[in-house]
Amino acid sequence: MSILQVQNLGKTYRQGKQTIDAVRQVSLSLHAGEILAFLGPNGAGKTTTIKMIAGLVRPDSGQVRLNGLDPHRQAQALKAVGAVLEGNRNLYWRLTPLENLEYFGVLRGLSRRVARQRGLDWLGRLGLEHKRHATVQTLSRGMQQKVAIAVALVHAPKLLLLDEPTLGLDVEATQTVKAIVREIAASGCAILLTTHQLDIAEALSDRVAIIRAGAVIAEQPTRELIRQFSGQSYRIELEEPLPAALAPRLAPFDLTIADRQLTLHRGDLLYDLLEKLRPLAIQEIKKDTADLTEIFLKLVQEKTT
Amino acid sequence: MIALFLAELRRSWIQFIRYPLEAILGVFISTITFYFLFMGASYIAGPGVNLSDSAGAERLDVLVIGYVLWILTLFVLTETTNSLEAEAKTGTLEQLFLSPFRAVTVFLLRALAGLAIRLILIAVSLGLILGITGSRLSFPPLLLLPLVTMLMSTYGFAFLLGGLLLLFKQVRQLLGGLQFGLLLLIGTPVENLAGLGRLVALMAPMTPSAGLLRDLMARSVGLDWAMFGIALANGVIYLGLGLWCFSWAERLAKQRGLLSGY
Repeated sequence: MSILQVQNLGKTYRQGKQTIDAVRQVSLSLHAGEILAFLGPNGAGKTTTIKMIAGLVRPDSGQVRLNGLDPHRQAQALKAVGAVLEGNRNLYWRLTPLENLEYFGVLRGLSRRVARQRGLDWLGRLGLEHKRHATVQTLSRGMQQKVAIAVALVHAPKLLLLDEPTLGLDVEATQTVKAIVREIAASGCAILLTTHQLDIAEALSDRVAIIRAGAVIAEQPTRELIRQFSGQSYRIELEEPLPAALAPRLAPFDLTIADRQLTLHRGDLLYDLLEKLRPLAIQEIKKDTADLTEIFLKLVQEKTT
Repeated sequence: MIALFLAELRRSWIQFIRYPLEAILGVFISTITFYFLFMGASYIAGPGVNLSDSAGAERLDVLVIGYVLWILTLFVLTETTNSLEAEAKTGTLEQLFLSPFRAVTVFLLRALAGLAIRLILIAVSLGLILGITGSRLSFPPLLLLPLVTMLMSTYGFAFLLGGLLLLFKQVRQLLGGLQFGLLLLIGTPVENLAGLGRLVALMAPMTPSAGLLRDLMARSVGLDWAMFGIALANGVIYLGLGLWCFSWAERLAKQRGLLSGY
């Protein structure tokens, strides 16, 4: 079921006599339980797009549908969305985590009793029960981020917008946030994630959309995109160096041989090659796989040139 | 809606009492400031003003009421603009616009909740001032009516400033100048004016309500219902204008992408 539908979204800002096309013809969709990594260089239009989805910036053209409702005309649409936006922690620093959860729960339409109960549940899930009476300003950055995510989820939205959720977090806190994101998606919440940490995007996302200069230049399932950009070659590592006598028999395979490592450039010949190598002991066979960072840079630079 | 008002009340109260020293200091400073203002006024007026006779006592009471109303309006205006600015910096402002409640509703309920706290502060400050100056004001229940109309126009002004803040980010300088403008609005003796001056004073924000409060509290004159009608219309118009401006500014801020980025 489609939770988010974005069609031909456009936004132009004016600075003096200059006009800047911040977002051009962006279309996206997101289903329940799906994580979409929305990637792009600084100033590409990610945050403007997210804010248009959340009803915080009004688009000049196109439309947004949250669960079938327009967040710019139907305030009830906002019940379906939670957001942790860039930079700050989106919390009242003088309040405790539970007081924040209670307040924002009511602000999103829950009764105080339900907001409190869900707040307690979230603090338990995030391992923050012992900090329920500490003010937010005394918590570590990682804990504040956890509370901010819980606040965005206290009303059980169907869509979560996460703008740079791991920015400035240490390794342990980053791992915790990743685990939380996976858990939320598994519970059926759709997640739109922006991050500059592409390893995190690769690990978490089901699909990737890359935006550059306001336009989406690629949108595909993450695995498919990686497969598309990965080569057809295989790296085979032997336990012992390749016997010299065997080398002539391998000539037709277009191999690159370096001591114990063979690189096969035609993947379709893999099993034929393995037959020829029998009975040599093989330590590892690995397909040459691109990572999201390479793909991102390639796509963004390709479009630039 | 009631649940949201109670949540706002709870949030405001917690933020107020979490640092009690800060709250006590606020009351202390406003009371001390008044005391020196009062002493200064008595000194400038010279020995000709006898505070023990009835005319002198009335003048003193008028001064006390004027000052208390001035504090109240200043509180309302600075609280609204300061909290908007602080929320923009910590990122909570955008979260308020992510609510299924309309932003203007959230801010109106928030204003009412904040007012309840402010009134407690004012009551304490007023009690201290009365104790220091020996002034004996009367508090007929009817004074609530002009007080409400006074607050309506004050909040109208606060929402107008809030709207400007959403768009232009910097209103502190404006607020600084406005402090003296507020003194003029509150201190103008509309009840003693006639002709064009009276007409202008009746249309000015807060002025008719302040006049009614002086009559009720310092002069023990009954409520002039015709004047109250004017004060009510004045309050409704300024509050409506302020809310409309805020909603208009919200739309414009969303159009220009200005809700964050302070």
